[in-house]
Amino acid sequence: MTMLDSFLNGLAVVLQPMNLLILTSAVFIGFIGGALPGISGVILVVILLPVTYGMDPTAAFMLLTAIYGSTVFSGLITAILYRAPGTPEAVMTSFDGYPMTQQGQAGKALGIGVLSSAIGGLVGTIALIVFTPLLASVALRFSSPEYFALAILGLTVVASLGGKLILGLIGAALGLFIATIGIDPLTGTSRYTFGNLNLAEGVGLIPVIVGLFAISEVMKRTLGGDAHQPLTKVKVKIFDSAIMRKIGVTLSRSSILGVVIGILPGIGASTAAMVSYSEAVRWSKHPEAFGKGAPEGIAAPEAANNAAAMGALVPLFALGIPGSGTTAIILGAFIMHGLQPGPTFMVTSSELIYAVFAGLFIVNFMILLFSKPFIALFTRLLNIPYSALGPIIIMCCIVGTYSVRNSMFDVWLMLGFGVLGFLLEKIRFPLVAIILGLVLGPIAESELRRSLAMSQGDLSIFLSRPISATLIYISCLLLVIAIAAPLIRKYKQRSKCRETFS
Amino acid sequence: MSSKYKIAAMSSIGALAMMGAALVSAGENGANYPSDDIQFLVAAGAGGGTDNFARTVKPMLEEQLGTSITIINLPSASGALAHQRTANGEPDGHTLDFASSTLVTSLAAGQNPTGLDQLTPVARMQSDVMTLIVNPEKYEDFDDFMTYAKDNPGKVIIGGTHAASPDKMAFLSFRDASGLDINFIPYDEEGSVSANILGGNIDGMFGEISSTLSYIESGKMKPILVFAEERLENFPEIPTTVEHGWDLTDGNERGVFVHAGTPPKVVSQIEQALKAVYDSDDYQTYEEKVNLHYREGWMGSDEYRQKLEKNLELYSRLIENT
Repeated sequence: MTMLDSFLNGLAVVLQPMNLLILTSAVFIGFIGGALPGISGVILVVILLPVTYGMDPTAAFMLLTAIYGSTVFSGLITAILYRAPGTPEAVMTSFDGYPMTQQGQAGKALGIGVLSSAIGGLVGTIALIVFTPLLASVALRFSSPEYFALAILGLTVVASLGGKLILGLIGAALGLFIATIGIDPLTGTSRYTFGNLNLAEGVGLIPVIVGLFAISEVMKRTLGGDAHQPLTKVKVKIFDSAIMRKIGVTLSRSSILGVVIGILPGIGASTAAMVSYSEAVRWSKHPEAFGKGAPEGIAAPEAANNAAAMGALVPLFALGIPGSGTTAIILGAFIMHGLQPGPTFMVTSSELIYAVFAGLFIVNFMILLFSKPFIALFTRLLNIPYSALGPIIIMCCIVGTYSVRNSMFDVWLMLGFGVLGFLLEKIRFPLVAIILGLVLGPIAESELRRSLAMSQGDLSIFLSRPISATLIYISCLLLVIAIAAPLIRKYKQRSKCRETFS
Repeated sequence: MSSKYKIAAMSSIGALAMMGAALVSAGENGANYPSDDIQFLVAAGAGGGTDNFARTVKPMLEEQLGTSITIINLPSASGALAHQRTANGEPDGHTLDFASSTLVTSLAAGQNPTGLDQLTPVARMQSDVMTLIVNPEKYEDFDDFMTYAKDNPGKVIIGGTHAASPDKMAFLSFRDASGLDINFIPYDEEGSVSANILGGNIDGMFGEISSTLSYIESGKMKPILVFAEERLENFPEIPTTVEHGWDLTDGNERGVFVHAGTPPKVVSQIEQALKAVYDSDDYQTYEEKVNLHYREGWMGSDEYRQKLEKNLELYSRLIENT
């Protein structure tokens, strides 16, 4: 049976009324969970896992994967409207999405987000269907040196963020420092935990993100007396040819980057969103426009995180290795259903897998179709006075953060980061650098140490492996360009000045 | 409220609570256990082996005890928070701590402050088999592996999860017993270890057959040494540690713990209920589904305590020697 036949058979299974109903409800559950800060795909899948035990495996996994796909999408809604990223994957989206909302362009921002998500998701799904075995072998070529080089490539963008290089470096260092807290993954030594068990696992990503972004924003608006909503009516326009021309290149680059990063085991959609945002800044003709409402700043992370979410399923189906947190839970679910994901899974359970693929394919269209009415529901909240909406946002943040690890400590941490974020915003500190350091820093650190352990301390391991060598050379080149370009520009200006004077 | 009053108020509340606890435990010789809902604290994140274990036992134990149970996952600090909360709670048997061998390995590594004197093991229900697993393209069998490791000291790299995990202890005890010069690299999750073995980047790992069965069946990985007294029925061709003269038989184990002050009658009541769960067809079907049926999982309270204490002693010594 060819791949197309299998896919069409899968599609026939998905289009059965009962399965369509399951898929639709999964998309809605995912929408709601993803939009609420702190409730991520992981939690939703865990909650619904027992429900699926009674279901036939095909329906069960269509449900779980559809929820997974739609949560990654809907995190953007609250990220754009309230700067409260619904999922960690959507944190980069708030950097340009929220400024657009403040400028009264929430509809446009949401439209870009929806379109980019759907396109990224579709590219990811198609890659999943067509290239799974091939991509899986690419994933296996990535080991510690390659991960290190990838993280370095992402981190070098701090130099391109424009203007405030020193603040950017401080921010990245701060992010790296926060990531250092906890038990050292390699030696088991406690670092900066002060004997507090709550810190042993490290500072979670969710408390930091929710605090720095959502809470600090509520504080800013409350203390600033900014109680008025800037807009009353939000009209989401998904297909806009002018915008599409503008973000076309970013969309293609980010979708491909997303798929490639998504297939790597251990790093997921959040990292993909970050790296592709970095690349969007780097390749833009107007890097200074980012962070102030650049459409590419929404398109890049949204296309990438949805593509990566699908990409993360590649090693799961082809090798039985989960590519991210949620896929790890789905792996557990397969085992509980008596299935055995592994190298032969694609052969032994091909009917199930192609039905899941077809389901995911349709989910991306459902996102396009259903997101408009769902977003309308959320935008109506914008008409509620902020004095009522602010506390609701804070409450959602508290509940969401608590639910991640059942930890009150995390809630206090989150509120603490809220205050920190508020203060840093006052001095216009680039928060994006902190997040870069926090997410990419620990990958760089532990993979560097693992690489050196692999090579018995020989640094040439990074240059003797083709993929890592290429990535390292590219990072060095881009770093030189980023630092040299402004100097050259300055020099040219100065010589021009001299010419006019003489 | 000034701090002085606060202390007074808090200590009187504390005294009242203690009196209350004393009254309850005095009145409760296990006659009316359970008197309330039960809470499972799972010392691991949602979706993993220990979580699946707790969630499978939950409806079965609910039926046995005629009460309802809630599950709370406390994955922080390798589950140390779950142990701490169990040890600091009420000693009435209404809080059950579901833990894996990580409880003792992290205790040995100094990452878990709740000692075995603060918890009473109720029962062990799962005993997974530890194996040395390699990429068959690199090593044909255990002799091949031994020869290479002896000829190339310091070159062999074993991957594993975390710095104080059961597989790290398997590595340490294997290295200690065999005298080989081999290295360990901990990864953040098991998936990364598997990927590195499949990709040929590292030499092998210590892991359970249950979680790698699909790779073994497809020929991408191969177990070459089993940590057991006798060869496994399903894998008669793999040599054991004991055959090589090494007394290493520990794998990852999962069991249930309560507060150390829990009345013995209550402990034995829970133990009996868990035994009934263990013997049920439903539970055995689950064990078979997740490939945990290679050897007997059940171990009663006293026996389990002795085993844990012996393991702790061994692990502490191994860690000290490194």
